[in-house]
Amino acid sequence: MYLQERVVENRLIGYPDQGIYKLVLYGQVAKSAKPGQFVHIQVSDTYDPLLRRPLSIAGIDQDREEVTIYYRVAGKGTDLLTRISVNEQVSALGPLGTGFTIPHTGELLLIAGGIGVFPLYSLIQVLSTAKVSVKLLWGGENQEFLESADFNYLKYLGVDYEVSTLDGSLGYQGLVTDLLEKELKTSKTPTGKEIKSARLLRAAACGPRGMLKAVTAICLKNDIPVEVSLEERMACGIGACLGCVCTVRGKDGNLKRKRVCKEGPVFDGEEVAWDAEV
Amino acid sequence: MQKFNGMQDFDFTTRLGDLILKNPVITSSGTYGFGEEYTDYCSPAYLGAITVKGITPLPRLGNPVPRLAETPSGLLNSVGLENPGLEDFLRSYLPKLSNLHTAVIVNISGFSLEDYALLASALQDYASPNNSTNITSNSSGIAALEVNISCPNIKHGGMAFGTNPKNAEEVIAVVRKNTNLPIIAKLSPNVTDIAEMAKAVESGGADIISLINTLLGMSIDIQTQKPILANKMGGLSGPAVRPVAVRMVYQVYQAVPLPIIGMGGLTTWQDAVEFMLAGASAVSVGTANFLNPLAPLEILSGLEEYCTQRGYNSIRKLVGLAHRTC
Repeated sequence: MYLQERVVENRLIGYPDQGIYKLVLYGQVAKSAKPGQFVHIQVSDTYDPLLRRPLSIAGIDQDREEVTIYYRVAGKGTDLLTRISVNEQVSALGPLGTGFTIPHTGELLLIAGGIGVFPLYSLIQVLSTAKVSVKLLWGGENQEFLESADFNYLKYLGVDYEVSTLDGSLGYQGLVTDLLEKELKTSKTPTGKEIKSARLLRAAACGPRGMLKAVTAICLKNDIPVEVSLEERMACGIGACLGCVCTVRGKDGNLKRKRVCKEGPVFDGEEVAWDAEV
Repeated sequence: MQKFNGMQDFDFTTRLGDLILKNPVITSSGTYGFGEEYTDYCSPAYLGAITVKGITPLPRLGNPVPRLAETPSGLLNSVGLENPGLEDFLRSYLPKLSNLHTAVIVNISGFSLEDYALLASALQDYASPNNSTNITSNSSGIAALEVNISCPNIKHGGMAFGTNPKNAEEVIAVVRKNTNLPIIAKLSPNVTDIAEMAKAVESGGADIISLINTLLGMSIDIQTQKPILANKMGGLSGPAVRPVAVRMVYQVYQAVPLPIIGMGGLTTWQDAVEFMLAGASAVSVGTANFLNPLAPLEILSGLEEYCTQRGYNSIRKLVGLAHRTC
């Protein structure tokens, strides 16, 4: 939908040099938004930058008709976004894209790298009332980053989590993929696979492409279905321009393109042709 | 969904030779998918025509990502003609296009003269019943072919046809031989003399000229010190290219008597007026759809208001006014 949403909140959270902002929009998007979807926001009235900015939805409050978005200032577009004041209207297309599968039972393991945690927040929030047990593994650069990316909100949601940092300033020192390997080892009986089917374990991940590739490999090795949320440069956001494609391997073994904005941003990790360079 | 309620007494009918459209606002190939993508925002039924994504004889995966790079007021793309190929287009896409209640222009691309011949003759079988006196809109089938002789994003063919007048003439002549549909020749701006190209496609048998395609460009990331696009180079579109496009429309209007579809950075109704004053009988909205899916409707309303305020009862009165000598 083509919408005007009212800005309820748009402020820096955490340490200033982390540049992470929380944006809350009031309007129609919240009514139909699902975890893993995004909004395509116009950040400027001029032609520079020309395109809208796709931002993943981190929180959905249907009663208050609000969606929460976190973003990190990375360039001209996100910098202009920080200058939009409370009560201003912004032009938004959304909610767009295909989100995560929402399980109704079993266990869901979430794996996040850096600001890739944001779309997973909405999944945690939606599942907080469901009969699904959720655990988040989240890796970041350091403690300052994790705290700035609203770590407190995670604690408030009451989800089971483990974190890793590159410098060891918080949690495990190392990569989130190490946490994932450890998690799968400890949660398995010596016979391994049996317990997995009994537990209905699934996984969902978001983060840098290299991390998602590694996470997918680890999950598939353990027979765990995994969904990944991908990022790509986007223009239209609605599937018309073919700017943001992802290469997948079809059931016939042939390579195909899918649109990150339309069939994605969430894909089955197994179908993504991680090494394709065509 | 936004509506467009034009005034009853204003004549929007647009004549491009035998191709008669209900109004002059078209959407550009490669920016409007197969028409379905925008139906939540803007009904294609309000448009004069839509131009679908370029079709090649065989399916194409197109170029790797990144395919997009933003530049000041512009967008570089290197999609590389990703498309389902002729067979799947006819089977899966064309039937749905007929339900959109607008004229459908099919953009065709090839790597050889044989490719163009094959596409033209295959698509001829799906021509909409056009009797050159009625507006093409609700009838099913294809209203016209737009011949892409100017894609900058493929290594062979494409722009090679579009930058050499003799080759351009040959391609159009081959298409002419294989179709009765109105032929729109889409010109590349990556040439020294656009008038010469216009004359060449006229000799080849084109009925209509559309211009401009994108300008070949490049953008380099100063952190990685590498080109941003995987394909290194791409086509520049968006408001940045508009003055180049207006100039070329102006020159082509003077060079040949064929009707012109003006495009290139056209974003607002004011831009549409500018293109029509330069000599375009119709205008095409491309990259602007990405910023604002309602752009084609806003352009229609603005055109009508501009004309009625000046006492023009027909959109056709606007065409070429910038060429008046007094």
